[in-house]
Amino acid sequence: MSPTNAAIEVENLVMVYHPNSVHPVRALDGLSLSVRQGEIYGLLGRNGAGKTTLLRILTTLLKPTSGKATLMGLDVARRPYDVRKKICAVLQENAVEVFLSVEDNLTTYARFHSIPRHQTRERADRAIEQFGLGEFRKQKVMDLSGGLKRRVQVAKVFMVDKPVVFLDEATTGMDPINKRGTLEAIREQARQGRTIFLTTHILEEAEELCDTIAIIDRGGVLATGNVDTIKSLGSAVVDIRVTYESLDEEALAELSRLQLVKLERRHLTLELSVNSRQVSPFDVLQRMGRLGPVISFDVSSGSLEDAFIELLGNRNTGGSGR
Amino acid sequence: MNMILAVMYREYLIRTTSLTWAFYDLFMPLTYMLLFGIGLDRAFASGVQTGGQMVGYNSFFLGGVLAMASFGIAINTAYGFFVDRDNGMLYEFLTYPMTRGEFLVGKILFNSSLTLVQAAITVGLGALLLGIPVRWERAGFLVPVVVCGTAGWFFFLTTFALRIRRNDMFNTFINIAYFLLMFGSSLFYPLEGLPPWLRTFSTVNPLTWHSDVLRYLTIGLGSADTMVAESAAFLLFTFLSFAAAVRTLQGGIVK
Repeated sequence: MSPTNAAIEVENLVMVYHPNSVHPVRALDGLSLSVRQGEIYGLLGRNGAGKTTLLRILTTLLKPTSGKATLMGLDVARRPYDVRKKICAVLQENAVEVFLSVEDNLTTYARFHSIPRHQTRERADRAIEQFGLGEFRKQKVMDLSGGLKRRVQVAKVFMVDKPVVFLDEATTGMDPINKRGTLEAIREQARQGRTIFLTTHILEEAEELCDTIAIIDRGGVLATGNVDTIKSLGSAVVDIRVTYESLDEEALAELSRLQLVKLERRHLTLELSVNSRQVSPFDVLQRMGRLGPVISFDVSSGSLEDAFIELLGNRNTGGSGR
Repeated sequence: MNMILAVMYREYLIRTTSLTWAFYDLFMPLTYMLLFGIGLDRAFASGVQTGGQMVGYNSFFLGGVLAMASFGIAINTAYGFFVDRDNGMLYEFLTYPMTRGEFLVGKILFNSSLTLVQAAITVGLGALLLGIPVRWERAGFLVPVVVCGTAGWFFFLTTFALRIRRNDMFNTFINIAYFLLMFGSSLFYPLEGLPPWLRTFSTVNPLTWHSDVLRYLTIGLGSADTMVAESAAFLLFTFLSFAAAVRTLQGGIVK
């Protein structure tokens, strides 16, 4: 990839918290990645994998211990002020002016991002409509629910035209309808050439949105590529879904003793993921056929979630907690 | 400049959501003068002796109460970091396209303007209601001194507010700082009669410099030479506090 084509370049980034203490925490351990301009890039990983630390470095909140990160060609550690002119961010924490109205939250944000006054009203109106905030427009944010506060926070970044947008679990707490609207807004922003860098724990969301995905663990990149590439890493996984008229509980207990990637029961429906390198899916299907009269069944190749679990499931650490 | 104005606008919007808050800020020092000041004025009916002259306690206390008011506004503004942190706004602010210095200056400039209104009310009504002999010809100099005083204390407290991440611990720190700085200064009483150890501490306390300069400008107490030296010392204190606060913000307060 040529440097001019990259919105974000991260090279061998290391972040150690409390380096002089007895227990220093190595949140990033030589992490490298590259994000093309105009793509939606998803960063996935378990809690404590280093996602938030990386986001904080890229948004100039933290300085790395070593390594280099550039955004639109600007070194984030050396030129943080210039970097901040190129970005807007929805951070993991709810960030809203609780004492101000929804409308004032948006207009204040516009002012900080140098939106001309004559455009502020129009952009605020558009964001309010897009995120279904019309009836709450004059209400103080402190009186809104958690999900609505998150909508106000996300609506703000869609008012401004910055080349790079950071979204840290942006749809957390939103209802399905607004979540859908937010995903569509993100896609629209990417179509306009903005680079979207997001983290999420909702893997379906990442699968639906992202052009490129990186799975990180213990402060380093474990796998990167487009959704199909990542899914292929979990290609040995087969998903089986069967709905029964009734279930033989003893046979089910026996089935659960098999080495399965996932086994979930929802009333009379079982959802299993099988790693075919460990257990034969045909054997599992046979056993499932003996559990009770079958109403319907479905067999499909693994999802992003399966790949995620297969890649990370056997790595036996909890991460750094950052 | 746009960013400083944006931060000031934001502070203005937040302040105007509570008139009780604004009312308290504006009239607190005058109330201090009317209750505490009058009480001590009666107790020390002959006044207090300082610099070889006798001054009525209300007159002496005017400069002190203005310094205390600046200190109070600076404390409230520093507490704002905890509110911003709780609301997640602090970290979001730090991703906005502004320098750390612009953020701090914008925050304190609006609040300094409140201190100016507060000072005008206190000095005006102090002269009118309590008969304090105000040197009106020097009143214009109060503007930079009040602004710089409030800013200096705010920058000083910012470093602690950002580094002390617990609200309760900051509260304890403020209580201790308030106690030591106020009673170890010339805010409530002249330094001449104090024991040497307390006098030494009070002489190097920036709240003494701040109170003395305000006292010189309001009632003409003290010498011009001392005022110049104390003003310079306070300016240096403000500059060093600003540098420390900016450095704290730049150094990554997110842990």
